[in-house]
Amino acid sequence: MMRKVLAPAVLLLVLVGGLAAVAAQGQDDGRTSVFDVGDPQGIDSMSPLIGVTVAAYEAWNIQYATLTDKAAKDYSTIPGLAESWKGSEDQRTWTYKLRPGLKWSDGKPLTSEDVAWTVNTARKEEWINHSSVVQNLTAEAPDPRTVVIRSSVPDPKLPTMDAYILPKHIWGKMSADERGNYDALDGVGSGPFVLEKFEKGQFARFRANPHYWRGRPAVDEVVLRKFNNPDAMIAAIKTGELDAAFDVSGSGFKQLQQDPDIATIEGYQGSMTEIAINGGDGLKKPHPALLDPKVREAIGHAIDRETLVKRVLDGFGQPLDTLSVSPSPKWTPDVPSEEAFDFDLAEARQILEDAGYKDTDGDGIREMPGGGQPLNFKYMVRSDSVEAQPIAEFFTGWLREIGIATTRKVADDSQLTTIVGKGDYDMFSWGWTPFVDPDPMLSYFTCDQVASDPDDPTNYYNDANYCDPQYDKLYQQQKVELDDQRRVELAHEMLLRHANWGVYHTLYVEPDLQAYRKDRFTGFVRQPAKTGPVIYAQTSPSYARLKPVTATAGGDDGGGSGGIIAAVVVAVVLLGAGAFVVMRRRTAYERE
Amino acid sequence: MTTRYLTAKVAGSLATLLFIVCFNFFLFRIVDSDPVANLFRGRNLTQSQRAELTKQFGLDKSTGGQFVDYLKQTAQLNLGRSYTSNQPVWSEIKDKAGPTIALVGISAVLSAVFGVLLGIAAAWRRRTKTDYSVTGFSMATFSLPDFWLGMILLTIFAVGLGLFPTGGIEDPSSTATGLAKLPDQAQHIFLPALTLTVAYLGEYTLVMRSSLLETMREDYLVLARAKGLRDVLVRNRHAVPNALLPVVALLAINLGFVLAGAIAVEAIFSWPGLGLATYEAIKGPDLPMLQGLFLVFSLSMIVFNLIADLLYGYLDPRVRTA
Repeated sequence: MMRKVLAPAVLLLVLVGGLAAVAAQGQDDGRTSVFDVGDPQGIDSMSPLIGVTVAAYEAWNIQYATLTDKAAKDYSTIPGLAESWKGSEDQRTWTYKLRPGLKWSDGKPLTSEDVAWTVNTARKEEWINHSSVVQNLTAEAPDPRTVVIRSSVPDPKLPTMDAYILPKHIWGKMSADERGNYDALDGVGSGPFVLEKFEKGQFARFRANPHYWRGRPAVDEVVLRKFNNPDAMIAAIKTGELDAAFDVSGSGFKQLQQDPDIATIEGYQGSMTEIAINGGDGLKKPHPALLDPKVREAIGHAIDRETLVKRVLDGFGQPLDTLSVSPSPKWTPDVPSEEAFDFDLAEARQILEDAGYKDTDGDGIREMPGGGQPLNFKYMVRSDSVEAQPIAEFFTGWLREIGIATTRKVADDSQLTTIVGKGDYDMFSWGWTPFVDPDPMLSYFTCDQVASDPDDPTNYYNDANYCDPQYDKLYQQQKVELDDQRRVELAHEMLLRHANWGVYHTLYVEPDLQAYRKDRFTGFVRQPAKTGPVIYAQTSPSYARLKPVTATAGGDDGGGSGGIIAAVVVAVVLLGAGAFVVMRRRTAYERE
Repeated sequence: MTTRYLTAKVAGSLATLLFIVCFNFFLFRIVDSDPVANLFRGRNLTQSQRAELTKQFGLDKSTGGQFVDYLKQTAQLNLGRSYTSNQPVWSEIKDKAGPTIALVGISAVLSAVFGVLLGIAAAWRRRTKTDYSVTGFSMATFSLPDFWLGMILLTIFAVGLGLFPTGGIEDPSSTATGLAKLPDQAQHIFLPALTLTVAYLGEYTLVMRSSLLETMREDYLVLARAKGLRDVLVRNRHAVPNALLPVVALLAINLGFVLAGAIAVEAIFSWPGLGLATYEAIKGPDLPMLQGLFLVFSLSMIVFNLIADLLYGYLDPRVRTA
């Protein structure tokens, strides 16, 4: 009985070992240049009508060109599919001229019909990733190379047209419902690479587009691979299994910095983290003390941003005094020193003392003026963030030092969205990642985004729950201001007001930590210049410019391990075969 | 086996299944959450887009209305659409079942086979060096967390020696199709399968060892020896078959877990199976996906439990008359 079981088991073991070895030998078959990128998040859908993850954006940046492009240097608007454009007097009508001879990757001509169809259909069907660009636009195609785009309102974003243009000959054949559920694996695009194979949750492989308007890229293939284990991703780039990695952990980043063949990049795109206080204008009021601007001011002085960056982010980040509304630094104002909340616990204590919040019962916690309710705030800690817990540790510690107690409650993102909508909290910490145009981030803090419908509390963005009519007025002004300089000034004014509310204490901006192998590819571009990332950027300009580093003789990095594997397998096979023969003999003997 | 025994077991399983179908729906709605707001935070959706998504997800109806819809759909074997991918849940589960069955199936069989062999060796040579080392090894692997073991194996074999890939099920740049993919996939499955095999091994060894020790005290073994049978034959023909009974039950129950996969090991090796899908769906929360996954997991548990019951009844007549 035992022998009967043992024999197939040994055979199975030999088989698995053998297959592994065959695979190792079969790899590295001299395939042309493949740029292999690892990312912990993965593409949720290849369809720009469905996907929401950062990796999905990267895939569309690779596959779909836009009418106008964004400069790698500073996001300024530069020609894309359109080589030129002209605005009308009132700047509401823009006429774009497409490059001559544009083609989709399948060889079909790319014309103004494709552009007009994308803009008009996206507006009508409210495609989630197109809406912010096209919601007020209508497009016409008077001839194959001309697109006329009209805006129903003054729109400072124009002439920028950064919506992905989809091939009408594929997407136009479907009904709206079919489009909404389409998996978009057709692999027809106008970007530098187009999809060849997509295994959801694993990888997407793209091949060079011979019809790309800048010319066929020098790299043959791009692979975006999902890694569920961040440590395995670090290992993979070290061993050369990956050429680049996105969203590397702080500790992994420090390891990679030691490797001379690997370049490490701290790429800033405006991702920020804040501590928000319930401003009290939403569905539920906070602790009464938080409605007093003096208390909020004291809290502002009890936050040590430098320490948070150093200890929570491992030093990878920069302290932040106002909301980050765009990855472009020009939108961030300098906060005058007299308005900034610098870390000063003595001053914080003094402010509270002067405003009448004293510790009357000697328990170390202050009470409301005249005694009574102690200053004990309900602080929500996000369970979905690795930073939320240490931020809570530091912040509540500092509050304790100025005589404020906190009761901590943990919530996941889904729960917290509801809690914030209902106003059922005093404080929480969370973050945002802005678009290039500051309008969406600025819009989130207007009065009509404060939750007001108790039946639908999550239908709002203003998670400060604070309404400032003057801020709204400035918001409406900047929304239609066509002079860029003036619009920047308006945004600066709004952001300083926003910081002064004292209900939204921004903590820091943090970079995307990335790494790539210098010995494999060159031509990486940072967007924006000097401070930005090289991959997973706003328009991901690196891919089209990458060049493989010329291979040195015997550059087959799998060869060494192949030899070891072969040896291991030969040993396993011999052992297995030996065991098998011995067993057969003994079994025969037993059959006496 | 009596018809009565069979009917009772099958009816019990069906009742459990019905309960799980209902329980499943409410389980994921205990937490007050809003999937639309959560999945699309910071996306600048218009009011009508939100309303449309809410309607599309079926969240505009009351809980009762959603429950009725859910029951109707489930009865028609329609598990709904995933919130995140907008694809039918059933096709998502189907795609991911293959990798999980391959990984956990291979590991379950290998660990059972090697576990039983080690258990026999330890019991037969009890209180010898073989026994002590096998028992020690089994206790150690039984108590090792599988994710920790996975990380160690990954560090040694993938990073240190560079023998195996760090994750995934196939080389993304490979253009092989059909059977030609097998060598590549075998190389990818090696480390996760080894991890799970070693992690499950100890349980089988310990169960087999104690079961065999118990059997060895039985009178019929004394009789077998008295008849003059050689030790090896006594062991293989009389002791082991009788001692295998608890292992059969353990194997059937463990096979029920095959579909539920090994969440931690799948996550470590980025193995695109059902365990990983569960982890991702919880993050959403992707309610239709979670419901579908839990239904499938429960179904496989119920089916294999039923098989274990029936098999036990067949192998051991005392069970079915009890």
